[in-house]
Amino acid sequence: MATNPMHQFEVYKIGPEINLGGINLSFTNSSLFMVISSALILLLLFFGTKRKSLVPSKIQLVTEMSYTFIAKMINDTAGSNAKTFFPFIFTLFMFVLFSNMVGMLPYSFTVTSHIIVTFVLAAMVFIGVTILGFVKHGIKYLELFVPKGVPMALLPLIIIIEIISYLSRPVSLSVRLFANMMAGHTMLKVFGGFVISLGLLGGWLPLGFSVALTGLEILVAFLQAYVFAILTCIYLNDALNLHH
Amino acid sequence: MKKIKEITTRLEIAKKNINNNQKNDKSSNAASLGKALKISTELVAAVFVGSTIGFLLDNWFDTKPLLTICFFFIGVAAGILNVFKSAKKMHKKI
Repeated sequence: MATNPMHQFEVYKIGPEINLGGINLSFTNSSLFMVISSALILLLLFFGTKRKSLVPSKIQLVTEMSYTFIAKMINDTAGSNAKTFFPFIFTLFMFVLFSNMVGMLPYSFTVTSHIIVTFVLAAMVFIGVTILGFVKHGIKYLELFVPKGVPMALLPLIIIIEIISYLSRPVSLSVRLFANMMAGHTMLKVFGGFVISLGLLGGWLPLGFSVALTGLEILVAFLQAYVFAILTCIYLNDALNLHH
Repeated sequence: MKKIKEITTRLEIAKKNINNNQKNDKSSNAASLGKALKISTELVAAVFVGSTIGFLLDNWFDTKPLLTICFFFIGVAAGILNVFKSAKKMHKKI
């Protein structure tokens, strides 16, 4: 049982079962780790901004660096009029990053390794950006699906292709994060299982591999949070500044 | 003697520039890995979405395999369009 690599993704409820109108709203280990990562973010930002000294302490430095990192990213990819969405993108980035990083600790649970969690995040971005586009440009937002300089005969086919390409955004956004996290954690567990089953004699090679893979996984955890945030910026840019 | 001094300062500046360039390369390495991961899923996602739409329309109009096949190919086209678009975006930045 302990060597089953998929066992770590099991969701089980903690405490009593809560049923609201036929919907199971019980508190699970997934919810617990979401609360933990949110609490860690709040603690970091609280202590990081508590004493604002000119020569920053380490924790203040981390907070300021994450602020400038996201602010610069929004400015570069979505333009300066996307500054109003800074809180949203910052929250998204920090939540994904902390969920990924908390999941790297032994005995913990990776929230982002479940597609429903990542899909909800991606759908939130997708629906929000679409509404924003229609509010900002009205019916002209549909011009996004009609590229310029296409002959009339090809237009119906091109519009269908563009609509599918647009609809595939939330799927690619969520599948990317989910698949990377799940594949990485499964691989770590498989190599960990090899260490046990090969014993003292042959277990050293997989042990080395799992050390290297842990490093790679930490890189991937950061990279996926970054990609999630930067793609949100790119979609925001499409909605705010309508052009091809 | 003066010439040697000049050359040494020039050398130092050149070395510094090389070092700076290498540092830049390292930071863009991680970013390009992110881009590679991004493109690979974009192709698959569009195919998946296209086939799903075809399957749903098939169930609706009762034309079992026809629309699924059509929309599969449209999905492939949309996937290639996705990759093409993001490659174009990357090219613009460089």
